[in-house]
Amino acid sequence: MPDPDLDLLRGTLDLLILKTLSWGPMHGLAVLRWVEQVTGQRLQITEGALYPALHRMEQKGWLGADWGYTERNREAKFYKLTATGRRQLATELSKWSRYTEAVNLVITAQGAK
Amino acid sequence: MSHSPKDRRPKLFHLPTSRRRLRGDIERELRFHIDGRIEELVARGYTREEAERQVIERFGDVRFVRDACEEIDAMTHRRRELGEWRSALARDFGHALRGLAHRPAFAAVVVLTLGLGIGATTAIYALLDAVVLRPLPYPNASRLVYIDHPVPGVETNARWRMSQAGYFFFRKNSKAFADIAVYNRTETTLVTPDGAERVRAAAVSGNFFDVVGARPMVGRGFADADNRPNAAPVAMLGYDFWRQRFNSDSRIVGTTINIASTALTVIGVAPPKLQLPDYQAQVWLPLELDADAPAVNSHYLDAVARLRPGVTVAAAQADAAGLTSRLPEEFPRAYSQGFMRDSRFSVLVTPLRDIVIGGMSRTLWILLGAVAIVLLIAFANVANLFLVRAESRRREVAIRTALGADRLHLAGHYVAESTVLAMLGGLVAVGLAYGAIRVLVVLNPSSVPRLAELTLGWQAGVVAVALALGSGIGLGLLPLTRMAPAGAQVTALREGGRSQTASRRQLSARSTLVVAQMALAVVLLAAAGLMLRSFYRLRSVQPGLDASGLVTFEISLPWSRYGTRIRGPDGYLPVFRFHRDLAERLAALPGVTSVGMTQALAIKDGDGCALVFVKDRNYTRETAPCVGNVLAGPGYFATLGIPVRGRAPTWTDMEQKNGAVVVSKALAQRMWPGEDPVGKELRPNGVADPWYRVVGVTGDVLTRGLDHPPTEIVYYPLIPMEGAPLWSPPTRMTVAIRTRDANPLSLGPSIRRIVTALDREVPVANVQTMRAIVDRSTAKTTFAMLLLAVAGGMALVLSAVGIYGVISYTVNQRTAEIGVRMALGARATQVGRMVVAQSLRVASFGIAIGLVGAFATTRVMQSLLFGVSPTDPVTLGGVTVVLVMIGALAAYAPARRATRVNPVEVLRRE
Repeated sequence: MPDPDLDLLRGTLDLLILKTLSWGPMHGLAVLRWVEQVTGQRLQITEGALYPALHRMEQKGWLGADWGYTERNREAKFYKLTATGRRQLATELSKWSRYTEAVNLVITAQGAK
Repeated sequence: MSHSPKDRRPKLFHLPTSRRRLRGDIERELRFHIDGRIEELVARGYTREEAERQVIERFGDVRFVRDACEEIDAMTHRRRELGEWRSALARDFGHALRGLAHRPAFAAVVVLTLGLGIGATTAIYALLDAVVLRPLPYPNASRLVYIDHPVPGVETNARWRMSQAGYFFFRKNSKAFADIAVYNRTETTLVTPDGAERVRAAAVSGNFFDVVGARPMVGRGFADADNRPNAAPVAMLGYDFWRQRFNSDSRIVGTTINIASTALTVIGVAPPKLQLPDYQAQVWLPLELDADAPAVNSHYLDAVARLRPGVTVAAAQADAAGLTSRLPEEFPRAYSQGFMRDSRFSVLVTPLRDIVIGGMSRTLWILLGAVAIVLLIAFANVANLFLVRAESRRREVAIRTALGADRLHLAGHYVAESTVLAMLGGLVAVGLAYGAIRVLVVLNPSSVPRLAELTLGWQAGVVAVALALGSGIGLGLLPLTRMAPAGAQVTALREGGRSQTASRRQLSARSTLVVAQMALAVVLLAAAGLMLRSFYRLRSVQPGLDASGLVTFEISLPWSRYGTRIRGPDGYLPVFRFHRDLAERLAALPGVTSVGMTQALAIKDGDGCALVFVKDRNYTRETAPCVGNVLAGPGYFATLGIPVRGRAPTWTDMEQKNGAVVVSKALAQRMWPGEDPVGKELRPNGVADPWYRVVGVTGDVLTRGLDHPPTEIVYYPLIPMEGAPLWSPPTRMTVAIRTRDANPLSLGPSIRRIVTALDREVPVANVQTMRAIVDRSTAKTTFAMLLLAVAGGMALVLSAVGIYGVISYTVNQRTAEIGVRMALGARATQVGRMVVAQSLRVASFGIAIGLVGAFATTRVMQSLLFGVSPTDPVTLGGVTVVLVMIGALAAYAPARRATRVNPVEVLRRE
């Protein structure tokens, strides 16, 4: 079941998509399933956020898109990471870890006397 | 997976091209998502309805997501297209530049030829723009008109200006004009502690500034009160004059300056750039205008009016004509019915611009036509070069087509190349035009008005760029029109390098260009030839005087000391003495052989129109002829080299006031045909006063310019006869000196020294040779002739190059055929003759068309011509001969090459 308290943090959607696609070309539904599966349903991406994000990232040149067929021979639009996308993923990752480190420092600090 | 066989989008365009395609793709993508989700839930045991409901609920508004994605994709699409277009452009231009670098000769010829054609067109356009197209430098200048009076009964084309009474009458009664102002361009003398100086002055009515829409820069402007007789003497300064001579000092207002020995109070400074129509005044003075003065038939005022809003020139003309027809009843003494009938006195309202530009508008349009022809000929040459290149590129085109390049790609490729060349040509053109304009401004041909305003403006720049761009694109598309249809490309490949003859189509295209070129050259050369003939005709006209070895200058004596009109024997003495002393001192200068003076120098000045009454003829004021009248001092005719039969009046004649006059031959022939005019009597008015006696007859002098018929003139003495009506003492004179000095102008300093010694308040102005004056009277013809000759020369050279290029190319192409002919026994002369004949055939075809064109178009030049008809057979014949010779000469070198063809070598090459 989705955890309603874990609303997607602003700016993390791109990171999630980039990271997911780093495993190989996927269509939108697969991206969604992957995130749900890996987080044990705790993190849910809505379609209303996912598709505009995919198209925007395609425009930015981070993703390439091609029409192809699924194993069940259904036509689907597959997204894959471009070289630019890969560099973007690295940037986003380091940004994310610096962010969480900083947040951690604050929440684990001893109170001032 | 990503490159599945169903990947049906062409590589060239990475995105679906239309919006509908974009939307379809998004809908398919989302459909796939929803279907997948539903199947997922169905597999988990949901019913289909339940699954669909859950999926849609989770998804939210599908249409919203679709629209959001579509917006993004549309933008992506646009960006990609732009990027692709840009890189294609860069690729094509880069390719073009590299390609041209490999063919510098081709590039240079194209750039220079186009540069020449476009440059000439741009320069003339700039001239036309500055002189004709641009409005006059007044606010709302198109509403300003000029009013004057044609008097065809006095002389064909004669136009009298406004009279004082007419001015007040029109101003009071007209409904069409918001207001009317009058002005005179004049010259006066500014006296400063440093000496006397002639300055250009504008004498205006008080409302002049209001009518043209200007406000004084400093101080106040004139008012009507300033025009009244006995008004306090005031003046305004021209802006530039104020800046240069008075250091822009506002304190000048309220002080006095000495103008013609009268102290005038400076009341203000005119705004920058304000001028009389085409006359840069240094000082502005109020005209003396008296509304109560009795009407006199004296038309000396230039009149400019501003039309009331909504009134057309035609309506104003009708209004003015109505007022003019009322003049006899209003002023019966000045404008009798008889006078109105005989002079056919009428009124003409003309846009002020037309008055300023005069006949120059037609000349400049003709010149623009001429340079446009040069441009077309240049373009034909370049087009020919491109066709030859297209020919040699047929294999390249065939290969590219075979490899899948479509026409659009090829077009982009060729247009890029030709545009690069044409823009370089445009650059050269702007440079040439700039240079040409600088030369023109420096030469300052006096026949062109408004030349001070001439610059290479943005309008001309736009013309140059547009012409270059147009040529570039046109030339680039040219090879495509010659490209065979798709199937025939294969033939080109199969022909390989062995095609000896250009296909008939190719050859005829080039011949057509040459024919057109020749035809255009004929028209232009005919125009240039006609101008040249006019020029020489004009030059060979005998002006009736000897212009060589003469220097002239103008003096102006201050009215306050020399001009006072004293009735009685002594009124003229100060002027008379000054002139006689001056003549005597000048005559004593080394090298000077004779000195004369006049109020109106032949050719330089107009000679006016005054009634003359001949004794024993029954004239009334209405029927008396109107002829030129000029005051001439002793020695005038001898100095100018005008022959006089009988004798010319001397200083003694004038001192005795014995009424000795000289008349021109034309006048004598009309008044006393077949009789000896010497001893006849005449006078300038109808009442019983003493008669003047003719003592001599001059030869015919073309006083109004070389392109006018001889004038009828009475030369009166400087002093009127005892008891005769008086005229103003001649304070303004032009003095002529005949000298043995090779450079008559070297007398200048001596002249100034002598005049200043006589009276330091008398300025010397316009020291110039008589030769310069005569030349200036032909300036309009000279200007048109020179420019048309330059254009004609360019056309001649360009078309010679054009026909040479085509003949030469044909000979190259026919080398094999010629070789075969020679192997079969044709002699070299036969081969040579064949080549020349081909050239002449093309040339004569063009010449024939051109002659028809010349017959049709040279008529527009009628008003520029002198002594030749627009279809002058000598000119047209001469042009024909020249171009036939060009045709033959152009074939000469190729023909020689053809005769040297070695049949053995040619056949072996086969």
